[in-house]
Amino acid sequence: MATIQLNKLTKAYGKAEVIHGIDLDIPDGEFVVFVGPSGCGKSTTLRMIAGLEEVSGGDITIGGRRVNEVDPKQRDIAMVFQNYAIYPHMSVRQNIAFGLYTSKLPKEEKASRVEAAAETLGLTALLERRPSALSGGQRQRVAIGRAMVRNPAAFLFDEPLSNLDAQLRAQMRIEIKALHQRLGTTIAYVTHDQVEAMTMADRIVVMRDGHILQAAPPMEIYDNPVDIFTARFIGTPSMNVFPAQQSGGVVTLAEAAPTVMAGVRPQDLKVAEPGIAPAVALEGLVTVTEPLGHETLVHFTAQGHDFIATAPGHFGALPGQTVRAEAAAGTVHLFDPKTEKAVGRA
Amino acid sequence: MAFDDTTRAARAPRLSMRTRRALWVWAFLALPVLFYGVIRFYPTLDAFRLSLTNWNLMSPPKFIGLQNYREMFASPDFWQVFRNTFAYLVIGTPISLVLSFTVAYFLDRIRFGHAFLRALYFLPYITTASAMAWVWRWFYQPAPTGVINSVLGALGIGGMEFLRSTTWALPSIMVTAIWAGLGFQVIIFMAGLRSIPQTYYEAARIDGVGDWAILRKITLPLLKPTTVFLVVFSSIGFLRIFDQVYNMTTNDPGGPLGTTKPLVLMIYQTAFNSYQMGAAAAQTVVLFTILLLISLLQLWILRTR
Repeated sequence: MATIQLNKLTKAYGKAEVIHGIDLDIPDGEFVVFVGPSGCGKSTTLRMIAGLEEVSGGDITIGGRRVNEVDPKQRDIAMVFQNYAIYPHMSVRQNIAFGLYTSKLPKEEKASRVEAAAETLGLTALLERRPSALSGGQRQRVAIGRAMVRNPAAFLFDEPLSNLDAQLRAQMRIEIKALHQRLGTTIAYVTHDQVEAMTMADRIVVMRDGHILQAAPPMEIYDNPVDIFTARFIGTPSMNVFPAQQSGGVVTLAEAAPTVMAGVRPQDLKVAEPGIAPAVALEGLVTVTEPLGHETLVHFTAQGHDFIATAPGHFGALPGQTVRAEAAAGTVHLFDPKTEKAVGRA
Repeated sequence: MAFDDTTRAARAPRLSMRTRRALWVWAFLALPVLFYGVIRFYPTLDAFRLSLTNWNLMSPPKFIGLQNYREMFASPDFWQVFRNTFAYLVIGTPISLVLSFTVAYFLDRIRFGHAFLRALYFLPYITTASAMAWVWRWFYQPAPTGVINSVLGALGIGGMEFLRSTTWALPSIMVTAIWAGLGFQVIIFMAGLRSIPQTYYEAARIDGVGDWAILRKITLPLLKPTTVFLVVFSSIGFLRIFDQVYNMTTNDPGGPLGTTKPLVLMIYQTAFNSYQMGAAAAQTVVLFTILLLISLLQLWILRTR
């Protein structure tokens, strides 16, 4: 059990600085997910916490102890990698037990821990198999098992689900989340998939270009993104963002002399549901419709801008037809056009 | 463009796609197959027949049954050569593999001068065997000509005979042979080391596994395919050793007193100095059998994984 603190943490390769002094406190037992596009520095940050990358500046403390120069093995952490890093020449049992290779525990204790981890992860029947006889999801569970047996103060996950297909990924998301609820160990988890971030995290850390843009619980980020990037990165499909003019409670799309950037989530931009005094009303030509069953995503163009709106499940509009989409008052996010920071709602 | 069904059908070739593909494949394979058949496989098989004859190239071969084999196995010279050949194999292969792995393992970890050092190690491999053998002959000369004896002398160790000693000639030649093949093995080992994903090592580091344990538990097992290939390759090389021996002992090939003579050199001498083609063929059959057995053994070891 441990808290992890990053204090003005920087990382530079030669002269190129890739992490620009980030601060973050991860309280004991929190499940924190680092999310961002590739190259944003999330993996580098995790690898610095693990001790696989040297720290260029600032401090990392784990459980109150400064660990900048501490060997990975002495940090009391365990890590799960994207490509599982389980050894093809060892059985599942040997792989899981390898996490205890240097441990001074008695033999019986080691064996019972391996059994317990296998039990938790549903691997008991597979213990004597080689990794080549396992599916991707099972391999990743073996890797988690190897991390679990060490009883570490914190787990680090580096894009652990990226190599799995969509269905398995959804299943493993739930398994990892349930595992966290059972063990209560601090988890730092890196992903580029905002769905993983939303569904699993106690707190999401959105990163871009070596900076932390926002660190907050998932719904807080969804409801109150601090800037346009975060707003568009979290939530699917992405938020519609367009230049606009604002007068009173009404926002109108305006190419010329915009005073704000307005953002509306597709879920809030509704077709064929005229409301009373909407904050945004847009009219445009339908380009594509994507029926999802319970609703239909309607792509349309208004004044040269592409928008995604939602319509009821059996929405029948065809490409080329004109539609009108509205967003209710209070659902429109407003951003400063220069700084792209959030300035309020309309 | 629209397709007219009738013209399509008319144009369709009579042979199926499969047959046509097979014909093409065999058209390209024909030349090498012919070449190997006539130049390689036929003589190889014919050697078995010749080994049962007495033939001096002048008169037609005369069938004499297993006479050649009886004489060969009764000859102390043959057993000397047999022992020499296995000495090259049994000492040369492990030493060269351990050396090349050590070099590759550490070379893999350095950045500075990496390419230069790698080139330096590889250089002997592309050098002509005879030129190299002559340079080494020089090294082994008595002081002051021979570098090695000069250094030994400076350290207070008396002149070593090296190539003129019945004890030291074989190891001396082996050093040259190992050195010649080292570069190739280093390159192959390094390629093998590079193909092991870094995350295996990172995971081990986080689990707190030490360098020695990582080497034993992760690197060596994962390197097994590379190692098996090099063991086979190097074994065959040492069993067929000829160039270094012949060129380093030109005055008395395989000497002194036959203590460095390998099987291939004996075959060469029997065939082209004594013109006993039948006996030479019998020796070839023995070499062939040894190579076959050792290769099969090694393939079997590979397959058990």
